Amino acid sequence: MNQADLSKLVSALRIAVKPKPRLFASPEGPAGRLRKLKATVTALVKYERIELNYPRAEEAQGYAERLISDAIRNGDCHKHTMEMADYWLDEKQLIHKLFKVLVPRFKEYNSSYTKLVLGPKTYPGYYAGTAILELKGNPFPALQPATQNYHYWLHNVLLDEAKREFRVAKAESNTNLSEPVASKN
Amino acid sequence: MLRRVVLQTFRQGLAQSFFKRNAASLSESAVTQHPIETSEEASEKSGSKQKNGDESGNTVVVAPPEFRFMYPEFLPDPTMERRNKLKEKLERMDMLQRRSIIEIPEFYTGSIMAVTVADSNSPNKFARFVGICIQRGGSGLQAWFILRNVVDRQGVEILYEMYCPLIQKIEVLRLERRLDESLLYLRDALPEYSTFPFEMEAERRLNNSVVPINPIKVKLRPRPWLERWERQNLQGVEDLNLPQRYYDRAKEVAKPWEKYDLMLQYRKTIPAEEQEKIYAEVHSQLQQQDLKRKIKRRRGPSSEQ
Repeated sequence: MNQADLSKLVSALRIAVKPKPRLFASPEGPAGRLRKLKATVTALVKYERIELNYPRAEEAQGYAERLISDAIRNGDCHKHTMEMADYWLDEKQLIHKLFKVLVPRFKEYNSSYTKLVLGPKTYPGYYAGTAILELKGNPFPALQPATQNYHYWLHNVLLDEAKREFRVAKAESNTNLSEPVASKN
Repeated sequence: MLRRVVLQTFRQGLAQSFFKRNAASLSESAVTQHPIETSEEASEKSGSKQKNGDESGNTVVVAPPEFRFMYPEFLPDPTMERRNKLKEKLERMDMLQRRSIIEIPEFYTGSIMAVTVADSNSPNKFARFVGICIQRGGSGLQAWFILRNVVDRQGVEILYEMYCPLIQKIEVLRLERRLDESLLYLRDALPEYSTFPFEMEAERRLNNSVVPINPIKVKLRPRPWLERWERQNLQGVEDLNLPQRYYDRAKEVAKPWEKYDLMLQYRKTIPAEEQEKIYAEVHSQLQQQDLKRKIKRRRGPSSEQ
């Protein structure tokens, strides 16, 4: 049984975190894994929407969420948070973007800060397929339409009318059943 | 050649009660009592109970931030596969129930404690052991700590499970912290750093709001050691004076990237929002128990008159 580490306070992440991390074997070993994920997180903060393979996208999502949540919780005067931002963002102007643009944008959010959407899986290709990882509130047009169902589509209009007719007909048949004596007289 | 002292470690049930108690004390060098707070601790040891209001205007009771250092075993095991909210809630209820019967005081690694255990094999039916807490771990009812002492030139360590019903009394004789979270290097240190007299009395704290940090730097015996201490970034040991090749090899073997691995840190800890929820649940009961014991202690000597 392990005791929880108390040295740092971390915010709860609002994404599904898997119990074991992916290994991402590389010639440099675990250092290489972090180096590649660093490049991914830097690109995400720089471009706000990137397309890449799904496994790396899922790992990078966790690290990006952790970085942003730490920046929101501790601010830029916190030594440890600044060290993490300095490590994870290769381009130093992105550290300014993190604290001056992304923190105010995401401060009031109750949901996750990133969105992972599955991308095309072309044949032949990588078994896991591609994914699009983006920061919420980005300036690009939405990947998925905002409303899934629209009240004034034709089939919705026809269905609503059909439901209303059914209800009216049912109400009428109920009143007919309740007053058979009245109609005879 | 220095004779290597054979280490004997026991679990509390098997403690040998025939050790003679050392009358002469080989007490360590003077302990400085001035508190040293790191920047993180200074901001977190605020002391007063906070009542935050939520939007609807109802007060939300929140435990003070130092609760997580005082009662770390209330936090569950961070391993995700083993999390179960119901199991954790039932465990916390059982822990509070046990704490209402016996006082389990606040202690840290580096505090000197005395534990009395019910022992059917000893002449007094109780076995008392005094030692320095070198490590603590476990979560929930399986929380444990290890006490170390040197008795008759034999190093002895006993692992006590905090919520074991055999434990009769846990006293903290000296409440302090050290520069490291784990003092396992005391096994390879000179014996005077681990020797504490069994007749040691509880010391009164000068300042009740801050736990002092003892900045002592321990001297280790020459190699061979039980672990490669030069690879562990210990703050509480004196300069190891090893040949340079040891430090070079330590650098080759080191994993400096782990410091930056945010998800590794996340999986090893419980998020702050969950911690707040857990401590908000238990702190009122803990404070009530604390208060009752304080009142009993104050009434105790006066009722004897």
